[in-house]
Amino acid sequence: MSNDALEALYPFLHGVRQDGASLETRLLESVRAKAEDSVIVKRRFFEENAERVVAAAKTIAGSYRRGGRLIAMGNGGSSCDASHVTVEFLHPITAGRPALAALDLGADRAMLTAVANDVGFTHVFVRQLIALARPEDALIGISTSGNSENLLAAFVKAKEMGLATIGLSGGDGGRMAASPALDHCLVVATDSVHRVQECHVAIYHIIWDLVHSLLADDRGAALAGPKR
Amino acid sequence: MKYVDEFRDPDKARALIAEIHKLVARIDLCRVRPLQVMEVCGGHTHTIFRYGIQHMLPPEVELVHGPGCPVCVLPMGRVDDCVALAERQGTILATFGDAVRVPGSRKSLLQAKADGADVRIVYSPLDALRLARDNPGREVVFFALGFETTMPPTALTVQRAQAEEIRNFSLFCNHITIIPTIKAILDSPEVGLDGFVGPGHVSMVIGSAPYQFVPERYRKPVVIAGFEPLDVLQALGMVLAQIAAGRAAVENQYRRVAADAGNAAALAAVHEVFELREFFEWRGLGSIDHSGVRLREAYAQFDAERRFAVPNVSIADPKACQCGEVLKGVIKPWQCKVFGTACTPEAPLGALMVSSEGACAAHYQFGGSVRINAPANGKAPVP
Repeated sequence: MSNDALEALYPFLHGVRQDGASLETRLLESVRAKAEDSVIVKRRFFEENAERVVAAAKTIAGSYRRGGRLIAMGNGGSSCDASHVTVEFLHPITAGRPALAALDLGADRAMLTAVANDVGFTHVFVRQLIALARPEDALIGISTSGNSENLLAAFVKAKEMGLATIGLSGGDGGRMAASPALDHCLVVATDSVHRVQECHVAIYHIIWDLVHSLLADDRGAALAGPKR
Repeated sequence: MKYVDEFRDPDKARALIAEIHKLVARIDLCRVRPLQVMEVCGGHTHTIFRYGIQHMLPPEVELVHGPGCPVCVLPMGRVDDCVALAERQGTILATFGDAVRVPGSRKSLLQAKADGADVRIVYSPLDALRLARDNPGREVVFFALGFETTMPPTALTVQRAQAEEIRNFSLFCNHITIIPTIKAILDSPEVGLDGFVGPGHVSMVIGSAPYQFVPERYRKPVVIAGFEPLDVLQALGMVLAQIAAGRAAVENQYRRVAADAGNAAALAAVHEVFELREFFEWRGLGSIDHSGVRLREAYAQFDAERRFAVPNVSIADPKACQCGEVLKGVIKPWQCKVFGTACTPEAPLGALMVSSEGACAAHYQFGGSVRINAPANGKAPVP
């Protein structure tokens, strides 16, 4: 009986594998539940924040109109998102949409490691902004917690330099939501990091699309020439 | 006191410490880096700090304080769930004393009590069952937490509740198991340990066999230890003796209480009443597979999570909180940015400062504050 009890408490010690059929059922249920959660989070976010998303897109489009670029930053998974949003703008997959200048502050590992090693990780994005950013640029920072020190520091510097600033955050928005250095902060109000990240992807894809729609209007007007 | 004073004999302690020094001199690895030995159990952490054992050891031996404090590893979301249960109309929430001050995202159980919830401190789950018997018109929920040590009394209480057909009793089950956690620590890339002082009272229930995977798969010694200072010193000596001899095995220093075969009756009750959860969240450590238990279907009527709606939300720790790093032994309590400043026993940010078995609370209480005031030249100040 003791062996049975110990085997039940610590299956990994006894090479006990889960029953195939019940495992399969649980896995399928897990897929459905998580997918459903993801849909609910996205639907709720866009129902509550559609106007904010449009406003953020207008700000970014405004930067492009002034000859600026989109600069993106994030840590970890959000760094992948920063890289993703950059390549969306640099390499549009839709015919007829022009490539737009975008910069990922996480791309240069020599710079990241140099600043992190010599000064501190809080400064890895700030130092790059000082060298590279111009007032007509827009800075987008992505963080599931909203509390990453290096993003917060970069937003403050960007605001000092005159950039437009947009944040994507999660949970309760963290310190990003409360920071006066952000012109826009889009908060996905859930504590699941994965659900936040999934929604962030949808947000910046939609923003990319909106920016192009806004700029296409300008291009259309330019082609049409002045009204007679 | 008989059977206590013998285990606190200073002459015997000096002899054990001298033996430890001799063993360290024989271990070549000590010339490269300190040996790191983890005491898993919070009770051992308390003994170490209370008797200043860490100061008696040679500098080549570093004690790493493990996650064996069930209150300390309770995620904030589970505290919130418990507060929600306590705040239900007509509910009596019965809990062990060291859980009442653990902060949730809104409040602790103590604060909920101050706000009007009926929270009562008990010393046994049987006390909670008695409350249910004495208050048939109220729901009594017992906040069941602890490692394998406290699972048997909870299991036996549930069996008694079923036998007596008590309908107004349930438990909010947060029992966790230490064995998968030891494995998770060994698999963690940030942690580099040379041996373990094994939990004495958990071993009283499960015996010594479940630890065999540590020497077999990871080549690290495990010595199950008692809780008096001589127990801990002897166990440390036994760990170092194995390292010096190039061996790795499970040894039992606590045979007077923990039989190698464990306690069959206790295991039977646990097996009858509980089943494994797929995973359970540990504060600071994340989710660990098969590390928590819940009531079996046959006892579902006593499961508060199935009877009542609990929020069941995962809450992130405060950003400043470094309980996770302390629990894994990556940093020492005094290296936490908020230790002794924003986080004190009076106003704890994290659970390690709440429970007396928590490394931070133990360090704070038993004179670790000299490290906070260490001068810039790196030398320890004169206390």
